[in-house]
Amino acid sequence: MTAGPPSSIESTVFAFAKAWGNTGVIPSDARVTHQPVARTGASVALEDVSLTIGVQGSVVEILRGASLRAAAGEFVCLLGPSGSGKSTILNLIAGLAKPTSGSVRHDETDVSGPGPDRALVFQDAALFPWLTLRHNVEFPLKLQGLAAEARSSRSMELLRLVHLWRFRDRYPHELSGGMRQRGAIARALATDPAVLLMDEPFAALDAQTREILQGELERIWSATRKTVIFVTHNTREAVRLADRVVLMGTRPGRVLHEEIVDLPRPRAANDERVSGIANGIARRIASEVEKVAREEADDAWVAPGARGSDDPRRNLGRGI
Amino acid sequence: MTILVAIWAAASELARTPLFPGPLAVLRSIGAGVHDGTLPRALAISAARLAVGYGVALAMGIPLGIALARSRFVKEATGPIVLGLSSVPSICWLPLAILWFGLSEWAIQVVVVLGAALPIAVATENSVRHVPPSIERAARTMGARGARLMLTVTLPAALPGILGGAKVGWTFALRSLMAGELLFVSGGLGQLLETGRDLGDTALVLAVVVVIVALGRASEAVLFSPVDRAIARRWGVEEI
Repeated sequence: MTAGPPSSIESTVFAFAKAWGNTGVIPSDARVTHQPVARTGASVALEDVSLTIGVQGSVVEILRGASLRAAAGEFVCLLGPSGSGKSTILNLIAGLAKPTSGSVRHDETDVSGPGPDRALVFQDAALFPWLTLRHNVEFPLKLQGLAAEARSSRSMELLRLVHLWRFRDRYPHELSGGMRQRGAIARALATDPAVLLMDEPFAALDAQTREILQGELERIWSATRKTVIFVTHNTREAVRLADRVVLMGTRPGRVLHEEIVDLPRPRAANDERVSGIANGIARRIASEVEKVAREEADDAWVAPGARGSDDPRRNLGRGI
Repeated sequence: MTILVAIWAAASELARTPLFPGPLAVLRSIGAGVHDGTLPRALAISAARLAVGYGVALAMGIPLGIALARSRFVKEATGPIVLGLSSVPSICWLPLAILWFGLSEWAIQVVVVLGAALPIAVATENSVRHVPPSIERAARTMGARGARLMLTVTLPAALPGILGGAKVGWTFALRSLMAGELLFVSGGLGQLLETGRDLGDTALVLAVVVVIVALGRASEAVLFSPVDRAIARRWGVEEI
């Protein structure tokens, strides 16, 4: 679609939204005129966190006694099947949810609510469709009351970082899935957060794009030294990206196992050592996934692969 | 279009009855109405009523829709009533409105506002409710909340759906207005239709219908098309 000059009515409609975006809580004379010094990562800690919610009268246990630490600047991947509370952990750190018990701390202080020092990136990118890429990246800066020139220079810098500068005036629907995801990363970095929370950001992308973006993310992380908590259910992705993989179990969600990935960076997509570690973790997960599948299927269901598995000890007494 | 007008002309020639005037007669009637000022006056009166009634309907319907989507209390207290009332043809309110307000401007406006505000509220509620949760979560992590979150994120995100409701509301307002004006001496286009019937002047009746069609098309072109285009450009056509 060609982008013609905006007519007066369309600009009026959206000027309304823009004008409201401008009325910051910060008075105009107190506006920040330059970007503070780039923040590197801060530590994140969950201690013995449990969360239960009421769903239509019954109580559902989402997380039980989960403990997790990410050091400043560390890249941690949360890996586990659906229902293991991975996204919930991100919500807790982001301050969008509160634990029933236990503590969630960020940079040694308790998390009390959302804040621009922790940014979330979603599977569907969640770029605002009514704003151009550039204005999407500038949106959180506008909320902070940053002046227009500072916003503009910051968004240009970030769009260059994710190689989208040329597409700055495009609307999200005019971009591919991978470009949208890079845009979402740029927007998340706009407020210079100490912690980047990523909720299966590459899950909806095709395999090639996903590998390219994994490389991009590793590069961006190396350049910015943010603390990254990255949720995925792709074992290879977790091993390729993480300093440490945290394996989550389900029903209720809890931490099962942690695996340090001590491989040199940057890591190649087809690195055999990545595959080796990934296979080890995959075997560990298999039993956990099987448990979920059993609960969601009839009693007679047997996990494919359980029959005639290459590990005779694990399946002894079944499928013989 | 030209072919349809030609068929109309031919049919009225064949019918040879004053009850079925041809396009020329209708055009002459429009000309006469414009010349003696009755048509422009009626149009101005109706358009002004529409502007006021529709404006009030937007100002009531959109906040009501937001409240329905966001407040459980409002939803449970008024949701079923709003849904129920929105299925009542608005002209059904006219007898009550006349009893309450007499044969006045107020009675007509009550019908117009009720006819338009409820579909607008229902559409607003739906579109606010269906804003992708990740959009709002993203905005909240950036520090937006409360009225600011609603005005800078939720409402723009819901705009395509709200616009759809606004369009439906507009046609409902126009219909309600014409029905209301038919029923008593009101000075608008509806009354002019009634005058045409009283005089047996079918050409006048059809002339007014043509003017109403033109009014509908013009409002579409002036009010909605530019916004539609803006939304299509931003959201991409496939989601409209």
